Amino acid sequence: MDLLKRAAFVVGGIFLGINLINYFVLGHTGDYLPGGERMGEWKQAAIREACYSALESPESDPLLPKLTTNDHRVDWRDLTRAKEMTAALNCYLVTHPNAICERNNRAYIVDYINRYFAKADEMMTTAKRYGEAEMSTVKNLWDSPRNREITAALAKDTGNGRLIKADFGWTTPAAMKPMLDRYKGTSDNCPRA
Amino acid sequence: MEPLNLIRQFLALILAFAGGFLVVGGWIWAPQLSKLVQSAFAEGPSVSLFADAKRIGRAETAPVVRSCIFKALDLGPDAEKMEPSAAYFILKAGSMQANVSAMMGKNDGWSERRTTELAASWGRLANCIYAQEDREICDPDSRAAAVEATTKFFAYAKQLDGSSGKPAPSATDAHILQGYGDRLLIMLKNHRRYGTLVAADFGSFAAPEIMRIMREENQTRDICKR
Repeated sequence: MDLLKRAAFVVGGIFLGINLINYFVLGHTGDYLPGGERMGEWKQAAIREACYSALESPESDPLLPKLTTNDHRVDWRDLTRAKEMTAALNCYLVTHPNAICERNNRAYIVDYINRYFAKADEMMTTAKRYGEAEMSTVKNLWDSPRNREITAALAKDTGNGRLIKADFGWTTPAAMKPMLDRYKGTSDNCPRA
Repeated sequence: MEPLNLIRQFLALILAFAGGFLVVGGWIWAPQLSKLVQSAFAEGPSVSLFADAKRIGRAETAPVVRSCIFKALDLGPDAEKMEPSAAYFILKAGSMQANVSAMMGKNDGWSERRTTELAASWGRLANCIYAQEDREICDPDSRAAAVEATTKFFAYAKQLDGSSGKPAPSATDAHILQGYGDRLLIMLKNHRRYGTLVAADFGSFAAPEIMRIMREENQTRDICKR
């Protein structure tokens, strides 16, 4: 019995360790989204490759996030990431509005929405250290025309049931909670094959 | 109760405590640990790992870096279009490359030239930072930049003094670097007296010249106090 307990402890430790590495080190957060009929395999999402071109030269798109002042504390890596994430999510939700209806794409897009809001929150948390002016700079950065298009597309997708609270599991971004709660129980209007 | 059981229970208690500490500590300190590993192994000597987080911020986003980086680093005619934090990153990346070369024992003319350039760039940056208004260094990001530029200048200058086996720089380069070093030591003394820089900002691995000033000079006022 003791041997069984020990073996179970070791197996449990290995299982926990592998999952912690997968989530926190490799960043495969999509593996921990809920499964089921609506959600497929994020690694097989076709939308990912379809949107590669949107990420080729984000600097040429004037509607993507940009800094409105030179007096700021935003690191260029954060700025670049904000641009890339906005360009990508804009492509997933706005350029290809029906992509989210496919199971694999939905899993990938839901994971990406989580990352998008997490990055915005992280930058806002850093900005808080520097006061109101910096917070306003970061707020403006994440309020570019492309970001507003994303917000509108998210509102539309939650309104027509293409995105529901259950898709996010326990990782629903705070910014999306009111939208998802408002349209709770809506069935999706995706075109049926 | 048997003594063996007591020992087992005691060991279990220690293990439970250690496990709990690892989980909670890992959760709290994992981001700092990752930064620590990055700065210790990827970017060479930097700011103190044990410095007060309220005193030492993010050097790359410091206002003084914005004012000084393009004076310290020549990145061509279009450099001004670049974000200053990106230019600072280029300087750090160059340092990282030189560190890797040094670790692999590359000691040729090119690596000596590269070390001289890096020492000069960090020296120019540090001198420019200290030439700003003294109170600028009260800002944690600017203080981090001042500390990092100073530490790196002295670290690269030391590599050129002959003690590390690298060929000595030309007389002109040596004279320029000597000038940067002398000015920096004067500025360090002033900032130690003003309370803008303290020993803990540099940590224990900074150049002996820096630590001597931090130890020997006393703070006479606190210009950061409003």
